[in-house]
Amino acid sequence: MRHLLATLLLLAALAAGQVSTLWWAAGARQALPLPEDHGYVLPGPLLRVVAGEFRGLAADFCFLQGLTAYGRLLEGSGPSQARYSDWQRVYRLLDAATDLDPYFFDPYYFGNAVLSRNPEMIPRINQLLEKGLEWRDWDWLLPFYLGFNHFYYLQDSGRAAEYLMLGAQRPDAMPLLATLAARLAYQENRTENAIVFLRGILSRTEDERTRELYQVRLEALEKIHYLEQAVLVYRQHYGEMPGTLKVLQERGVISAIPEDPYGGTFYLDADGSVKSTSELTYAKGGTSKEIPAN
Amino acid sequence: MRPLWPLAVITFKEGIRNRALYGIFLLALLLFVANFLICGMILRDVGKVAVDVALSAVSFSGLLLVLFVGINLLAKDLDRRTIYMVLARPISRRHYIWGKFLGMAMLIVTATAMLGGCALLSIGSVRWAFPSYFPRFAWSPVLLALMLITLMLVLLAGMSFLFASFATSSFVTLILTVVSYLIGHGVAAIKALVESPAEVGIEVSATTVRVVKAAYYLFPNLSLFDIKVQAAHNLPVSWTYLAGTVAYGLFYTALSVTLAGLVFSRREFP
Repeated sequence: MRHLLATLLLLAALAAGQVSTLWWAAGARQALPLPEDHGYVLPGPLLRVVAGEFRGLAADFCFLQGLTAYGRLLEGSGPSQARYSDWQRVYRLLDAATDLDPYFFDPYYFGNAVLSRNPEMIPRINQLLEKGLEWRDWDWLLPFYLGFNHFYYLQDSGRAAEYLMLGAQRPDAMPLLATLAARLAYQENRTENAIVFLRGILSRTEDERTRELYQVRLEALEKIHYLEQAVLVYRQHYGEMPGTLKVLQERGVISAIPEDPYGGTFYLDADGSVKSTSELTYAKGGTSKEIPAN
Repeated sequence: MRPLWPLAVITFKEGIRNRALYGIFLLALLLFVANFLICGMILRDVGKVAVDVALSAVSFSGLLLVLFVGINLLAKDLDRRTIYMVLARPISRRHYIWGKFLGMAMLIVTATAMLGGCALLSIGSVRWAFPSYFPRFAWSPVLLALMLITLMLVLLAGMSFLFASFATSSFVTLILTVVSYLIGHGVAAIKALVESPAEVGIEVSATTVRVVKAAYYLFPNLSLFDIKVQAAHNLPVSWTYLAGTVAYGLFYTALSVTLAGLVFSRREFP
């Protein structure tokens, strides 16, 4: 009995010693000088060799590390004060995750959502999304993100329209993507591109409501294209801009100014392009329709 | 086949009774439970991560099985000199190797079938918890991936038999098998790396390229058996690829075990 008691006492003393030394050593470790984290991540091809058959799992791990790195960035001085290297670290981890498994959607999704808080990172995000675009060839969201980034951050509507057109042709794409792409192309004075694209997508669309949406936009763009051609003919013939669209009708280049299906009125803008007061939306055109304005 | 069967059954029973098996199964079960925790941290592609974790758990547990249970099945006979008892019986050394290997293969198939069942259960339960985050999921590629993992483990067991046939201790066999596994999984990626070193900004000598190319043909290309990424994203895997890989696995295994039998039959025992 005495022997058992002594053993129990010894065990209790050892356990107490274990807990207290752990607390002591862990506390002392926190005071150790740590090397500065430069955010270096091994290049993707090397990671693939190291990860071996657990490539997918390593990609998940890199992604979770990216989440943690972003959390640390927020925890530190906040996104507005964070150093460029902190943002780079998040990017590199997400890039490594997609090098290990380029089909993994989350790094693209997360990278696009959070890295865009730093405008300097936009080219990097687009680089990441371009990788995803190539591998996830069924996914319409990645071209949509790229289109948005080009339109909103880089003010490049032409490229934005190209990405949206690509996205619209992918399975299960949001129907509005096609009309949005067509509108951007039109705004970039690429009406003909927009028409060809919409005709193509219309031929593959079966849903009646979506078809109606596309048909109205196609009709508006075809009328605009008709007017643009008329302006071109007028310029070639008279050597000057017509001033207004009415002049085209008066000089017999066109028989009548077509009606805007969105309810607006076509006019000739100061830069010589054909515009409509509706801006190709029902809301501004004054026509009430059930189809959502875009 | 007749003299092989009793030996295979005994080997299988011996393997099943091994206590290490319980530890391996416990680890696998923990990984399957961890699947829930990991998937809870994923934003959208939960299905992919669930499949990744489950299949990796099967593969890792299977690897432990080959390394710590499988190698012992043959090496223990040699280490403890119980081999003399077997060799005194009217059975050739080649038959002994093939019988042992057959038992080992049965053990691997049984274990991966059980682990695979748990993996499917783990994936199924994550899917039940997060049904809308499995947009591209299908069961058939997961089953195919499990089949190829099993074949890869059988091939590795064949390699371990080859090493055990000439190695002096089970430790040497273990080290050689681990090295073959690491080279087998990395050799294709390393070959790609040394053939286009500019991609990672390294310089590679012509000798290194030759050595890597030699290793590529000498060691088994285990990365062929890894279709976890395809299974996780439900990407197409052609029947030609599957047939080619299965045939390659069978040929390499048969080659290893036949070679093991040849070396073993000429081995001098002290």
